[in-house]
Amino acid sequence: MMLVLRVLKSEPLHGYAIAKRIHLLSADELRVEEGSLYPALQKLLVKGWVKAAWRGSDSGRQVRGYRITPSGRRQLEAEVEEYRRMASAIGLLLDEG
Amino acid sequence: MAIIGEWIRRLGYLLRRRAREDELRREMEEHRAQMGEPPAFGNTLRLREEARDAWGWRWLDDLVQDTRFAWRTLRQSPGFALTAILTLALGIGVNIAMFSLVNGLLLRPLYAGADDVVSVHSRSTAPSGGARAFSYPNYRDLQEATADVFANLAASSTSFVGLDVGRGPRRSMASAVTANYFQIFGMPLAHGRSFTVEEERPGAGIRVAIISYPLWEQLGADPGMLGRLVRISGEHFTVVGVAREGFAGTSIPGPEVWLPLGAHEMFSTEDPAGRPFGARETHELSVVGRLRPGISVETAAATVATVGRRLELAFPSVNGGYSIVMSKPSSRLMFMPGGGSGATAGLALLLMLMPVIVLLVACLNLADLLLARSHVRRQELAIRSSLGGGRSRLTRQLLTEGLLLALTGAAAGLWLSTLATRTLLASLRQVLPVAVSLPDVGLDWRVLLSTLVFSLVATLVFAAGPALAQTGRAAAADLKRRTGDEGFRLGGVRIGNALVIGQIALSLLLLASGGLFVMSALSASTADPGFRLDGGLVVQVDPALAGYDEARGREAHLALIDRLRMVPGVEAVTIGSRPPFTSIGDSRHVAPAGAADARSRSVGAVFSVVGRDYARVLGLPMLGGRDFSDAELAPGSGERVAIIDDSLAEELWPGEAALGRLIQFLDAEGPEARQPLLVVGIIPAVKHSLGDPRPYPHVYVPLGQHYESEMTLQLRVAGGGERAMLDTVARVVRDVDERLPVLSVATWRDHLDAGLDARLLRAGAGVFSVFGGIALLLAVLGVYGVKSYVVSRRTREFGIRIAIGAPPRVLLWQVLREGGRITTIGIGIGLLLALGAGQFLQSILYGVNSIEPVVLVTAPLILLAASLLASYIPALRATRVDPTVALRSE
Repeated sequence: MMLVLRVLKSEPLHGYAIAKRIHLLSADELRVEEGSLYPALQKLLVKGWVKAAWRGSDSGRQVRGYRITPSGRRQLEAEVEEYRRMASAIGLLLDEG
Repeated sequence: MAIIGEWIRRLGYLLRRRAREDELRREMEEHRAQMGEPPAFGNTLRLREEARDAWGWRWLDDLVQDTRFAWRTLRQSPGFALTAILTLALGIGVNIAMFSLVNGLLLRPLYAGADDVVSVHSRSTAPSGGARAFSYPNYRDLQEATADVFANLAASSTSFVGLDVGRGPRRSMASAVTANYFQIFGMPLAHGRSFTVEEERPGAGIRVAIISYPLWEQLGADPGMLGRLVRISGEHFTVVGVAREGFAGTSIPGPEVWLPLGAHEMFSTEDPAGRPFGARETHELSVVGRLRPGISVETAAATVATVGRRLELAFPSVNGGYSIVMSKPSSRLMFMPGGGSGATAGLALLLMLMPVIVLLVACLNLADLLLARSHVRRQELAIRSSLGGGRSRLTRQLLTEGLLLALTGAAAGLWLSTLATRTLLASLRQVLPVAVSLPDVGLDWRVLLSTLVFSLVATLVFAAGPALAQTGRAAAADLKRRTGDEGFRLGGVRIGNALVIGQIALSLLLLASGGLFVMSALSASTADPGFRLDGGLVVQVDPALAGYDEARGREAHLALIDRLRMVPGVEAVTIGSRPPFTSIGDSRHVAPAGAADARSRSVGAVFSVVGRDYARVLGLPMLGGRDFSDAELAPGSGERVAIIDDSLAEELWPGEAALGRLIQFLDAEGPEARQPLLVVGIIPAVKHSLGDPRPYPHVYVPLGQHYESEMTLQLRVAGGGERAMLDTVARVVRDVDERLPVLSVATWRDHLDAGLDARLLRAGAGVFSVFGGIALLLAVLGVYGVKSYVVSRRTREFGIRIAIGAPPRVLLWQVLREGGRITTIGIGIGLLLALGAGQFLQSILYGVNSIEPVVLVTAPLILLAASLLASYIPALRATRVDPTVALRSE
């Protein structure tokens, strides 16, 4: 969910584009399966962290775009912060060994 | 805040679910299209379901689905569903009905929010001393002295009156109350006004009345009722108010009209000494009070006790030896005559216990049914679980099914109970001696709540058990096992048998108890009352109900005797105030006159005012002395005389002649009443009530010596043609005086049958028989269910045995024998229970022993026959098994 919020931070995207963007930004390391992406998006909708709207895509088709909300941004910051603390703690632990 | 927003969004989703799901589908299709060939996108249906779960509405979908499925499943086996629902409905229905009744009549607090209402009594300080009512001056003194602890202290006195609302006078009850009476319970009137202080003052005689809500409804619920006139004991009273619906006063049964205390004397014939109602010596008021806010019961009780001592000192001749005490009426029981005695509580307990037993039988039956069903469905469940049905999902499915059954059963039971309550109430009205307003016994939340709780518990116990047992099994193992499997069968049957044994034992308990009541009713109706019943007629009249004073009342009594004597076919006519088998007896303490130890030698005897020929009409011989003369029937005629019966004579003067001796009444009021009476005649003793094991002592005084308005004319008719005479007699009575209230015209036998004792016994016999019958029906269903189940499980075995030549008779006999065995065990246990119940019932029943061979043989035989019949049908099916079909089914 953190990853989805992160890619939506810069611009609204539709489902397929979110998956592609995560794949791209992680230098092909991370792949989000559709099976996790859509439940995650629905959960973000429930929480009110993103909003969805239908719009025309570049190829002229109707796609459903997701836009991050202010509360979504706050959540992202909190989660990123939390993740950093966690990562640095784990890093410290690993360096110690 | 965040949580609320989240729920609003969830609800929004729920409301526009179809559109939102459609969006998701389109979105995924789009995604798939953009991915190009070959689509690596998974199964969209499955993905959509998973995505949808995020909204948290899955349980709702499942519930709807489960309910629909359960409905379909139950529809597929209507026999099972109907039996289960009927079982539950009967079990729950009788319980709600009985609970509503007992709750409404006995247990429910008088009024909501009346926690601070207490009743105040005057009690004798002597060791065996009883309670006494209050006199008006004592009440007023108490009220003044306790104004700082009671917000309100009200008094009332209830008596019988003749009530005429335009359809002729009938007997009813009226309460004379203080002006503040209606404020006590915080129940303002539905219409009109309360009484004023001026109307309350004793002797005021202002003729106003407040009528009860049910009476108002009877009169057409007319808003213009205020200002109309009703006749109460012959006097016209103006209706000034209508009590609030459900208000039944402080007594059971509640009165139909309330009058101001100042009007009490106009119809009360209570005080034999003729003292005014307002005198300090006239004790006729019961007192209730409402505590001031913040005053504890203890504080109030202490204050009341202090006032009691002060009143003792101030008026030693009247109040000496009487203290004032206070009690908190926690329920209606406290307001009942006798103050919630043990007998009332015992009866309530008994009434409550019976439906509980029926419920127990119903539960056992339900457990039986579901157990048998769960075995049948084992294979179905195994298939479903192997197709991917999760254990919790399957359990939930079974629970939903159970819940659907339970709720349907409960709803049916609720409906059944309203029918039953109405019937019970109607029969109760017949048992009560006068027309009265019964408190509202509608459903209350407690009844509804207990029904709901019971349904839920029944579901958990009877559906969850099998569900867990079934779904916990290895599916594969169950799939392999066929439905005729031996290993499983035994366990199920054993539990089933135990349940059936329990049912039979409990049904026997109810049947045997019902049998005792029936026996008792029978022996009561054939009991020897000690006098001749045949050829006897009774006519009850009460001139006071038409407002007649003593002179006019006496005139009416004598005119009736004279006129009835002239009717052809009538052999003899007499009159009496307390003919045998009247429910209300007037008992006096009788002692030899002038004896120094009069108190210790006194004997309790029924006091009865009679006319000439009393013994002759009852078919009793004069054992000695003479009958009353005509002169003695008129007041103020010389010597005071009495006729006593042989049982009283024997107790007063054992072994000696009583004729010509003097007796006196110890508890009579007034100097005149204490004068000795000469015993001029002796007659045989008669029983006074059905429950009397032997005749009760009676003392008879002639009509002239004492006046009572309500009298019973007794006629002896020649040649046993009394029934044919009823109309003639009724017409003659009407001809004598049209306005005279005639309470009843009946044959002696009918009068006895209509007596309160006989009615109570019949009601008991009826109620127990109905409950016993329901339990029997349920038990038979149980036996049938288990036997059918056993036989269908063993189809293959029977088929093989028939194929190799077993005669059908042997198979039939085998199934019947097994049925007979569990029935016998059940009957054995049931007999022990019935013996215990008999011990308890013996104390309240007339003329039966705790061990009644007739009952103890008949009830088990009925059960045995019914249960054999119930196993006969499945047994017959066993012998009809077609071997080829049975074997091929494997």
